[in-house]
Amino acid sequence: MTKEDLIQSNPLRALGLGEKTDGKNQGMGLVMARAGLGKTAILVQIALDFMMRGDKVLHVSIGESIDKARSWYTDIFLLTTADMADAERREIEPEVMRNRMIMTFKESAFGLAKLEERLDDLVKQDVYKPNCLIVDGYDFSDSKATDMQGFIDLMESRDLDAIWFSAVSHRGDKRVSETGIPAPCHEMDEMFASVLFINPETEAIKLDIIKCTACEIDASAKLAFDPSTMLISKT
Amino acid sequence: MKKDLTKVRNIGISAHIDSGKTTLTERILFYTNRIHAIHEVRGKDGVGAKMDSMELEKERGITIQSAATYCPWKDIDINIIDTPGHVDFTVEVERALRVLDGAILVLCSVGGVQSQSITVNRQMSRYNVPRIAFVNKCDRTGANPDKVTRQLREKLDLNAHMMQMPIGLESELQGMVDLVTMKAIYYEGEHGEKIREDEIPAELKDEAEERRSALLEEVSMFSEELMEALLEEGEISAELIHDAVRKGTLSLEFTPVFMGSAYKNKGVQSLLDAVQVYMPCPTDVANYALDLNNDEQEFPVTNDPDDPLIMLAFKLEDGRYGQLTYVRTYQGTLNKGDTVYNSRTGKKVKIGRLVRMHSDEMEEIDSCTAGDMVALFGVDCASGDTFTSEGLSCSMTSMHIPEPVISLAIVPADNKAQVNMSKALNRFTKEDPTFRTYVDHETNETIVSGMGELHLDVYIERMKREYKAEVQVGAPQVAYRETVTERAEFNYTHKKQTGGSGQFGRVAGYLEPCEEGEYEFVDEIVGGAIPREFIGSCDKGFKKSLEKGSLCGAPITGVRCVINDGAAHAVDSSDVAFQLAAVGAFKDGYLKAKPVIMEPIMKVAAEGPAEFQGAIMGSLNQRRGMIIGTMEEGTYTVIEAEVPLSEMFGYSTTLRSLTQGKAEFTMEFATFKQVPKSVSEELVKKYQEEKKA
Repeated sequence: MTKEDLIQSNPLRALGLGEKTDGKNQGMGLVMARAGLGKTAILVQIALDFMMRGDKVLHVSIGESIDKARSWYTDIFLLTTADMADAERREIEPEVMRNRMIMTFKESAFGLAKLEERLDDLVKQDVYKPNCLIVDGYDFSDSKATDMQGFIDLMESRDLDAIWFSAVSHRGDKRVSETGIPAPCHEMDEMFASVLFINPETEAIKLDIIKCTACEIDASAKLAFDPSTMLISKT
Repeated sequence: MKKDLTKVRNIGISAHIDSGKTTLTERILFYTNRIHAIHEVRGKDGVGAKMDSMELEKERGITIQSAATYCPWKDIDINIIDTPGHVDFTVEVERALRVLDGAILVLCSVGGVQSQSITVNRQMSRYNVPRIAFVNKCDRTGANPDKVTRQLREKLDLNAHMMQMPIGLESELQGMVDLVTMKAIYYEGEHGEKIREDEIPAELKDEAEERRSALLEEVSMFSEELMEALLEEGEISAELIHDAVRKGTLSLEFTPVFMGSAYKNKGVQSLLDAVQVYMPCPTDVANYALDLNNDEQEFPVTNDPDDPLIMLAFKLEDGRYGQLTYVRTYQGTLNKGDTVYNSRTGKKVKIGRLVRMHSDEMEEIDSCTAGDMVALFGVDCASGDTFTSEGLSCSMTSMHIPEPVISLAIVPADNKAQVNMSKALNRFTKEDPTFRTYVDHETNETIVSGMGELHLDVYIERMKREYKAEVQVGAPQVAYRETVTERAEFNYTHKKQTGGSGQFGRVAGYLEPCEEGEYEFVDEIVGGAIPREFIGSCDKGFKKSLEKGSLCGAPITGVRCVINDGAAHAVDSSDVAFQLAAVGAFKDGYLKAKPVIMEPIMKVAAEGPAEFQGAIMGSLNQRRGMIIGTMEEGTYTVIEAEVPLSEMFGYSTTLRSLTQGKAEFTMEFATFKQVPKSVSEELVKKYQEEKKA
């Protein structure tokens, strides 16, 4: 298996990742689930898809350490390239990982203004210019649609292709938007181009595509999520 | 009578450089009556601190070697290892942590959690060492134990809570409030040796109550009894709190924070009390040995003095009276005159003298039992060897020894220096597995390699001072490696049959990358194409070839040499002929196996105010660094990157000038990686020019 095979066979292709929705960017994406179901694993698979295609990812981790974020990438990379020859994997790993930078913040210290400042720092010093932002651990319970608009503005002004977030939903909170986005993001419908929801059922965990502007999938195709490997698969 | 192991504490003292840990150790020795006068690290009396026994340590005011000592406190025996703070000496720190049951993490009350504290903490976590924190230098301007405790939580992710609160700070530091007994403690007398307990000053009472409540709430997680007592709002005894704190500490879920100023003689005795109450005894900690007869299966050591002996040599020193071997006993009893087995070499060793070390002085003892840390005399072994009773075939877990990353050429000034240099190198390499040496046969220079510039610098200095070996030192060189990336066949005949006794040998087979180790020799000869007696000669020849690669002259690693065919001559074949044939065969296959140059990559952590983040990142980027990530911690940022060592020379100056001296960095070896093509070409060219010259 080559890198190109891996990109092509990635189940995330079903989400139309890499396609520009309005000619400018791919919009913002959201992965939702209850705590501990594997949101970070999915974000990392999305990030790795960008990285494999040569795009640069800035992984913003709120409340976690660099080492923890980094080990997610190491583990998911090993799992996704399990069918690849060792030599090939060794060759592409540094090439792929070069397309990732991790930025961690304490929960209390994170804010859009600070992120903008740090991002500009990277670009101005010619250190790193990301194409995609992954924001893991953002607290949506305290957030409004206007805050998300700030991120959309950031995406446009900094010429980013996409921003993907993770959000925690709560079993007891039954509020949902018209399109089915659960609380606490139910009032931000129009802010996201793609929304995935990790839906635990009795035997398997489904990955519901609640919203996907760029999707070209056939309606019957579903994504699943294997909790033992944390990998997304087609069903 | 069995020794009561609950009354033994094996602890280490680790910290960022210049946090005052040697001063703290000095005070501990004083209060436990092991020394009778206090000498400062850079004291005017010129004596230096007790634990800094090497002249160089006294002069520079830093601890280079960890010296072991023991001291009695109340009814317990404390074995202490004073560990070095500089990152270049981490092998010393790691070795100490391997054999310790607990540790004191010393922090400066002004500097707080610094880069080396992070490294040391990571090492402690690696070996599951329970720790207590001591916030030192509370007499300094800007002292803030609350800030340091917060940093312990935020930067080191420790559940740290103050067990005391200071009465006054900076120059006003008078004593501490013990939040367990709710008493004020003052350290009086010329050297703070008289402890006076008193009521808490009225103005601090409310704050103390508040802090105690928060502390009790936190530690009640570790004791149901305490939690019940809190809910019932009944009397809470000190024992109940001690018990909860101890449980939390031993499970690594809680870090009690003590404070004081070792220099001003405040707080040290309370810290010793904490060692007694909260630090584990040898039986509290699970240690495992590897069963060498059973595929290295782990099994727990018993700590029982009546069981067969298991002990680990964790440090060697070659002193005036011969080799001194520091050992930690994990089970059994060792008596003077006993014969034990070195499980690595399988050799019998007779224990002639057994001593308890007190820095550079020693005290003869007749026996030691499980849990003890003592030193043996005249035992020939390497650091990390395990000694056992007869019939027991096991080894303690091997220690993590990093590969050396930097080397220097040294040339003795004269013949006398040459002899002394050899003696010195022989001693240093035995003592320190990260310090290595070899002779470059082409240039005839002696090369020493180690973990950093300071590491090598210290050994060169010691060579001059302790062995009177004057040496000229070359510029530091990065320890490059060469390796092969593809399988390649070889078939070489060494033939010299013109006059006199001839030489003949043909060796055929292939080379291939070998990830599992540095070198592997595989004999696949069938039908006696190469006679048995010359197989070893082929191995020798290959090994010789590995000393120097043909790309840049660096040693070759990660290669498997497989021989599957060959030929011999009844008269002209010999050991030498096959060695030379193997050398030729290796040369034949090496370039076809697409060799590459590998360079050491360092994990660099630079920290400084957030406004310098971009500048620091830019500077690391320019040095071929790959930024792994950034960590925003309040007003400062930590930047983690992987940077080739060759690009890091002089970085401290660059970093200082970029950040107005406000940022600092540490680095440790991470891995070897292939150098980029442009760098490789340059190295090859340089090597070719050197060879021509």
